[in-house]
Amino acid sequence: MKPVLGIDLGTTNCALALGGEQISLLPVPQLVNPGEMQSPDLLPSFLFVPGPADFPAGSTALPWDDAPPYVVGTLARKRGAENAGRLVSSAKSWLSHAGVDRNAALLPAAAPEGVTKLSPVEASRAYLEHLRQASELDFAAHQVLVTVPASFDAVARDLTLKAAALAGCGDVMLLEEPQAAFYAWLERHADWRERIGSRDRVLVIDVGGGTTDFTLIAVEESQGALALERLAVGEHILLGGDNMDLALARFLEQRLPKLDPVQFQSLWQQCRAAKEALLSNEGPNEQPVTLLGRGSSLIGGTIKGQLTRAEVRELLLNGFFPQVASTEMPERAKRSGLQSMGLPYAADAAITRHLAQFLRSVKAGVLTGPTHVLFNGGVFRAAALRERVLTVLNQWLAAEGAAPARALEGEDLMHAVARGAAYYGVMRQTQGGIRIRGGVPRTYYIGIEESLPAVPFIKPPLKALTVVPFGMEEGTTHRFAEREFGLVVGEPAEFRFFVSSTRRDDPAGELLERVTEELDELPAMEITLPANAGDAGVIAATLESTVTETGLLQLWIVARDGRRWKLEFNVRERG
Amino acid sequence: MSIGYAFSAFFGILFKNQIPDDVAAALGWVRRDSKPKVAEKPKKEEPVVGPGDGALQILGILQRDARLVDFLMENIAPYTDEQIGAAVRGVHEQSRQTLERYLQFAPVIDGVEGTYAKVNSKDPAAVKLIGNVPADGKAAGGTLRHKGWRVTKTDLPPIFAHQKTDILAPAEIEIA
Repeated sequence: MKPVLGIDLGTTNCALALGGEQISLLPVPQLVNPGEMQSPDLLPSFLFVPGPADFPAGSTALPWDDAPPYVVGTLARKRGAENAGRLVSSAKSWLSHAGVDRNAALLPAAAPEGVTKLSPVEASRAYLEHLRQASELDFAAHQVLVTVPASFDAVARDLTLKAAALAGCGDVMLLEEPQAAFYAWLERHADWRERIGSRDRVLVIDVGGGTTDFTLIAVEESQGALALERLAVGEHILLGGDNMDLALARFLEQRLPKLDPVQFQSLWQQCRAAKEALLSNEGPNEQPVTLLGRGSSLIGGTIKGQLTRAEVRELLLNGFFPQVASTEMPERAKRSGLQSMGLPYAADAAITRHLAQFLRSVKAGVLTGPTHVLFNGGVFRAAALRERVLTVLNQWLAAEGAAPARALEGEDLMHAVARGAAYYGVMRQTQGGIRIRGGVPRTYYIGIEESLPAVPFIKPPLKALTVVPFGMEEGTTHRFAEREFGLVVGEPAEFRFFVSSTRRDDPAGELLERVTEELDELPAMEITLPANAGDAGVIAATLESTVTETGLLQLWIVARDGRRWKLEFNVRERG
Repeated sequence: MSIGYAFSAFFGILFKNQIPDDVAAALGWVRRDSKPKVAEKPKKEEPVVGPGDGALQILGILQRDARLVDFLMENIAPYTDEQIGAAVRGVHEQSRQTLERYLQFAPVIDGVEGTYAKVNSKDPAAVKLIGNVPADGKAAGGTLRHKGWRVTKTDLPPIFAHQKTDILAPAEIEIA
C-alpha cells in the first residue's frame, strides 16, 4: 500500500496530514522570525518576496535551502504586515479567479515597480514545495491528496494539479474540502452509522479565513450498507472570517485616534481574539483592546479601546448571519464600468442569504433542507455563530414544515480538511472503505455556432451542447459520436465553454437552443490543430469528454481518421 | 507586583552569571550543532558568539515580542496606575508567552512557601540559607521562603552569522 498524504492547501493556512493506521497531523518547520525556525501545525499561506532591505543577510536560510528566493509561512505574514507591497496572500482565490490569466505573474498584487512577481500557480507551488521540503518526506513516493474548494471550476482544479506537479508531488488526486471535512468527521466517529442514517442529508458549512463553501451530502441505503452521495456544491464565495475581524477592526477604529498600518494590524489581530472570547458561551461581556504606543514611548502612546458582547453580536451575527427568510437571495453587485484589478469579493456579506440561495438551488425553486449540519473552519470556534446558523436554518425548515436540523458534534475545525484528505486516501486503497459518490459538481457545455447566412452586425446565435453532465463520475468518458463538427485545422480555432451550477438535469449530448443566464462563460480555449497534407482546411471530427481518476476534466477532439487532440483550458483573458 | 519580581528573578539569574553550568552552556547557540543535517554543509559560516550574546539575544526577543525594553526604559512616573496597568497587561502576557516558548521553568525546591522544606543542595547558588545560619553553614531544612527558579530547558534559536545582537530593536522608518 502506498503511503498517503493529505494536504489542505488553504486560502490562509495550509496543513499536512499523514495517513496510516491513525491519521497524524505533521508539524511544518518554517521561519517565524529572521533566523528562527519553529514547527507549528499550520503553514500560513503567505509568501514574501524579500528585497535587500527586508531581512538581515543569511537570516532567511532554511535547513534545505541556504538562500531561498521567497519566504513562506509565519515570517512572510509578519513581515508582510509591515511591507505589504512584497506580500502574496490569498493566492488560492486568485487561482480560482476566472477574470485573470492565472499563469501570469500577477502577485503581489500591490507590488511596486521592480519587485519580481509570480503567478497564482507559482505561489501555490511554493506552499506545496515548502510542505514537501519541511516534512522531509518523498512526496513522489506517496499518494498525495490535495484539497480544493468544491466550488473550484475545471480550470482552477487543473492549475492546482499543475502546481502540485511543479512542487514535486508525484501521484496527486484532488478532493473537495467540504467532503474532506466530512471524511475527517467519519474518521473521528467510528459509530457514525448510529449518528446518521438513511435518507439523512448533511450540510457542510465551511467558512475559512477568506472563503465560504457549502456542500450537501445525502445518506442513502444501498445493498444493506450506507452510501454517501454529494448532492450539490455552492458557488465560490469570497467571504470569510477575515472579513468579520476586519469589520470589527473598522468599527473600533472609528472610536480611536488615527492608527498607523502596524497598529491597525495589531487591532485586527486583537479583534479576532475578542470575537472568539465574546462569542463563546461563557465569555466576558466586554473585552479590552490595547494598542501599545508605536514609538519607544510605550505607555505614553498606548491607545485603549473596548468591544462589548452586544456590539460584536450586532456586527457579526446581524451583519454576517442575519435572520432572513429562506427566499431572500444575496444582493448582486452593481458593477461599475471601471474596476481595479482585484479579487471578485462577495458583494453581500450575509452568509445566511448565500446559504438560502444554495439550499434553493439544489432543486430549482424549493428549499432542500438538511437533517444535519457539519461546521468547518476556525470561524465556528465562536459558539454563537454556530447557534445562529442553526437557528436561522431551523426557522426555514419550520416554515416548510420540516424537522429541525442538528449539528454533528465533535468536529475538528482547524485541521479536519488535511486529516480527512489523508483518511480518504487510505480508504481508497482499502476495499470496502466508505466513499462519497459525487462526480463533477457542475454541468459543462461547449458553444456551437449555428451555420447561417451571414448578416452584418449580427453574430450567429450560439447553442450549447452538454459535454459534461452534472455528477459525471471520475474515470468515465462520454463520446458524442452522433454529432460531427467541421473542425478548422492549420489555423487558430477558438472554442467557447460554459458552466452551470444550477442546471443539473441536462444529460450528456443535450443541445440547449440558446445560452441562458444560468450559464457562465469560462475562458475560451484556443488551439491550432496541425493540418495533415490532404486536409482541406476543415475536417470532420467528434467530441469526447473524460473525467480522469484524479478528478480532472478533459475534452478531446477526435477526427474521423482517428487523430486526437486534447483541448487545454485556456486561461488567457478574453480580449 | 508579581511581574516585577519575575523579571528581576529572571534577569538576576541571567546577568549575575549564576546559572548552572549545563544551562549556561546550553543558552542560545548550541542548537545548530544538534542538527547534523545543517552541520554537514561545510560552506555554512559558523556563528561567532561572544560572551554577552545570549543575554542580548533574549532581551532582543523580549523587546520584539513584548516591547519589554521600551517598557523598562520608559519613565513611568507621569502616568497613572490605570494607564500603566493597561499597557502592562499586554507586556506581561506577551513576555510570559515568550519566556515559556523559549525556556522551560521549574522551581528549585518544589514545596509550599511558608512550610518546612529540606535543603536539597549544598550549592549556595541553588539554595540560599538565610536567618540564623549555623556557623558551619550546614542545615537539614527550614521554612521555605522562596521556591527559586531553575531553567530546565532552553530552546533559543541559533544566532546566525553576522547577527548583531547589540541591536535589541531596529529603528523603524516608515516610507510614505
